[in-house]
Amino acid sequence: MVKDNSSYWQDNLRIIMTCLIIWFVVSYGFGLVLVEPLNAIKLGGYKLGFWFAQQGSIVTFVALVFWYSYKMNQLDKKYGVEE
Amino acid sequence: MNKHTKIAIFIAPFLAIIGFAITDMYEEQQAAEKRIFTMSVQNQCDIKAKNCILESDEFLLSISHQRGETLINSTYPLDTATLFLVDQDNNATSFSLGMTDNPYYWRAKTNLGALIEKPGSDQKLRIIANIKGGSYISEFTSTTQ
Repeated sequence: MVKDNSSYWQDNLRIIMTCLIIWFVVSYGFGLVLVEPLNAIKLGGYKLGFWFAQQGSIVTFVALVFWYSYKMNQLDKKYGVEE
Repeated sequence: MNKHTKIAIFIAPFLAIIGFAITDMYEEQQAAEKRIFTMSVQNQCDIKAKNCILESDEFLLSISHQRGETLINSTYPLDTATLFLVDQDNNATSFSLGMTDNPYYWRAKTNLGALIEKPGSDQKLRIIANIKGGSYISEFTSTTQ
């Protein structure tokens, strides 16, 4: 059992919220709202806004999967509930 | 693979789908908004010489006149197209163009031929081409060489 359920849950929520904010910023912000200013920047010959809409957001989602897993494992260790 | 990785891999596709759904809604809303784009003449316009192209970014519209009919050809399919012949007193006569075979080609019988017949003659025209979500407009002059 986790010693401090409330604290564990708060830390968990913080990680989830961070993930959701990054998810929203990358998919809606970079891929849509800020697409024009980002298109002024080139990344490997592609416009950055276009790249985020087509590929960058997906790459970020995959990175988020592993980042979330890493942070949650750290959290489990901190509260002594690791597998 | 521990439980957190499994949860994250399970949740990620749903978030991606929600992201695409939000994007689609946003794009649809943007497309529904009425927008006006101004077209400008590429080089010089001479309708009689079949050299009159209007442009607005990637949208191109070519205007020509033959056998009593004014024809327009666009790079995007149009919903409607209206041509105005403007006289020296700035009075405009409108001609609703009809679709020919497909929405890239439109035509109407006009008296433009007589107005641009003589070399050196100038004829002011206006055009409104409507595409879903936007109107492409232009006022330009055809000068016969």
